[in-house]
Parts: sequence; structure tokens; C-alpha cells
Amino acid sequence: MTMDRHETIGAMLDEYALGQLSQDERRTVETHVRECDTCAADLRELAVVMEGLAHSLDPVTPPPALKQRVMSSLASQPQEPARTVVEPNAVAIPPKGVKIRRGVHPGWLAAAAVVILGLGVALYSVDATRRLLIDDVQEAQAAVADLQRRLDLNAEQADLAVSILTATDMQPVAMSGKENATGSTARAYWSPARGLLIVANDLPMPPPGRIYQVWVIGGGTPFSAGLLGEQGVGRGMLIAPPPRGVAPGAVTVAVTDEPPGGLPAPSGSIRLAGSL
Amino acid sequence: MHLVGRLASGDMDAAGELYDRHAGKVLALARRILRDDGDAEDVVQEVFSQAWRTATRYEAGRGTVAGWLLMIARTRAIDRLRARQSRPDTTGEVLLEAMPGTTMAPSDQAIANEQYARVRQGLVALPAEQRTALELAYFEGLSQSEIAERLAAPLGTIKTRIRTALTTLRRSLRP
Repeated sequence: MTMDRHETIGAMLDEYALGQLSQDERRTVETHVRECDTCAADLRELAVVMEGLAHSLDPVTPPPALKQRVMSSLASQPQEPARTVVEPNAVAIPPKGVKIRRGVHPGWLAAAAVVILGLGVALYSVDATRRLLIDDVQEAQAAVADLQRRLDLNAEQADLAVSILTATDMQPVAMSGKENATGSTARAYWSPARGLLIVANDLPMPPPGRIYQVWVIGGGTPFSAGLLGEQGVGRGMLIAPPPRGVAPGAVTVAVTDEPPGGLPAPSGSIRLAGSL
Repeated sequence: MHLVGRLASGDMDAAGELYDRHAGKVLALARRILRDDGDAEDVVQEVFSQAWRTATRYEAGRGTVAGWLLMIARTRAIDRLRARQSRPDTTGEVLLEAMPGTTMAPSDQAIANEQYARVRQGLVALPAEQRTALELAYFEGLSQSEIAERLAAPLGTIKTRIRTALTTLRRSLRP
């Protein structure tokens, strides 16, 4: 390490801290800083100054609806690996080798179209994520691994959807809106062997601080199928394997509003319901 | 357990607590950068989503939680600002993201708060032209030549102003 180089890099630290450098320049700085204690200490100080600048603004009071929006969006987002998955039913190993039968019911096609649309949205956001992270090889690698996982997750979800829709024991459940959701439409498809696919449209926003949870009620006992994922304004979808413990026979599918993360048993108002 | 640890284990209450504690600061920063309430609220949602998704990878000891959220907020907001202005994206993930394993800022909230207060006082005390140049760099994500153009001043002058401002602020950290 020559003194010249140290001085050149030292002169770039301000711009580095402010995020004003190109990718190549950033990498040059980072390589040097890993080996140079003086520059590392300077950069540490600059980092504190940068944080101080962010803190120099007085906090504002966010509109109350924003918290609800943020919390509902979290409820339907998977976390990165690997310590925990938010919703045990959200990730399922789909049965392999399922073939699509001929003479598919139009409702299935509509549901499948929604699934594919959902994948498109997911792919788009994956692409945006990729664009943001690609700067750095390390970050890009992490991003690619993340993409792969999300694609796998979506592929699993799509496989599961198809296996539900084509299961020999699948029955469509007519759903209707209740309370403030009478204008909502929903289609549910229940296969005791494969699981539940529910797609809701024109669903009102859940009450503040609440999310929608889906239940399969068999033999009078409700079992959580998972949280209704947000697929766009007013649209919700859940594809889940059958909840454990549902008694064989006729079931009721219901959607209630619950606190974020959901509950083991329903507590909120029923917004959508339908029985076989 | 640490709030981010609880967040990483999928604890929604922790997410609510994190939001209650920090959303006001995050929103203030996003509004300052974007000057649009709707866009700023979108950024708040993005920040907490990113925090939720990546809490599992958060390294304690890498700075304060507030600092982590604010860094995400600044990057996201400036990306948005650049997209709006069709300016090329030159701002990368800065500092905390770019330097894994290096402690960049104090993790102790009390010490950090004291230092932030010093930066704030130092910022107010800066000569106006230094403060303006620094704020254009920090809050609008402008490069030094973009700032020179905006302020119709020579590039060398802008570099000096920003350098002097940052040196003063760094000095203010030392008691």
C-alpha cells in the first residue's frame, strides 16, 4: 500500500459515505478500507455523521392508516431464511407428478389465471430487487439465492394450486360476503387430500391493525388454513395444504379478520363464508 | 430478546413495536427526500418490509436499529427520487450494507443518541453554503458535479464545502 494510494482513497471517503461514488470506485474504497485501519476509523466516524444527518429531522406522526397498511403487507411476506417461516402452512411440499385433466372447469381456469398473475407480480418484484442489489458480487449472489428461493416458493405454490384444482376429491365452495364485505366475491376450492385454494376479489381493507385469516371448519371445529395473502388492491389469495385435524365430510370455509400473524382460533368477524 | 431478534422469529408484535418506535423518523426522512407524502409512505412500507424480510440477516453490533432503518429509507427514497427525475442510479447500498463485519456506528442507543444530537447541533451551526451543499448530497442524493451545477458554483468549491462541513461534523463527535 503506497502512501499515494492511501491519500487518493482517503480523499474519496466523504463521497463514499454520501453514496456518490460509482460501483468501481466503491469497490476500490472498500478493498482499501479492509486493510487500512486509519481509513476504516475515518469511515466509522463518517457513518455516525451520516446517521446523525438522518436523525437531524424531527419525527413526524404517520397517518394511522399507514401502520395498518404496513402490518398487513408484512403478514403476507415471507422472511428470508432460515430460522423461521411466518406461516407454517405457507410453505408446502407439493405432491409431484400431478397431471392436468382435460375439460377443465372455467372457474379453475380463472383461478389458475390469478395464480399465474400472482407469479408475474412476484417475478416483477424479484426483478426490481435484483436491480437494486446487483451492485456488488456478494450482494448479487445473495440476491440470486433469494430469487431462486422465491421462484421455488412460487413454483411450489403453483404446483399445489394445480394439485388442489385437479384433485379427484376437489369440490368448489360457494363463498359469499358478510358484514362490510357483501360486495366481495370469492371462490374456494377444497380438496381434503390436497388442500384449499381461495381467491377473493373486491375485499374491503381489513380493520386497522387486522389481517384476514382463512379457516376450514369441519365437525364444528375451525382450523387455520393460513393468512390471506394480498395480491393487489382488494384481492386476496391463499393456497395451502389441508390444515391438520379437519374431520372428514362437509366443511365450511370462512375468512375472518384477526390480529397480525393470525390466531389459533377465530376471534374476529366473519367476512366471507361458504359451505359444501 | 432483542427487538430485531423477535422480528426475525416472525413476531408480529415486534414488528408493530418497531414501527411505533421508528416510523416517525423514517417517514420524516422519506418526506424530506421525496417531498411527496404518498411516495414517502410507500417508502415507509418498503423499509419495514425490507426490515421484516431481512431481520434474519441483521447483525447486532453493526449499529443501532434506527440507523439500520434510516439507511434503508435513504437508499430507497433516493432510488425513487432518481427514477422520478430519470437520473442514473449511482447511489449504492452505503456503508452498513457494504461493509460486512465492520462495526460502523455505536450499537449503544444512548451513546448514539448523544452523538446524533451533536451532529444535529453541528449541522445547524454550519455556514449556510456548506450546509446547503451537504444537504443536497445527503437528502437529494446529488453527486458533487450535480451540486455544482445546481448551485452554479465551481466543482472545486463544492468539494471544499462538503469536505469542510463533514470535517466539522466529525470533529463535533469528539467531546
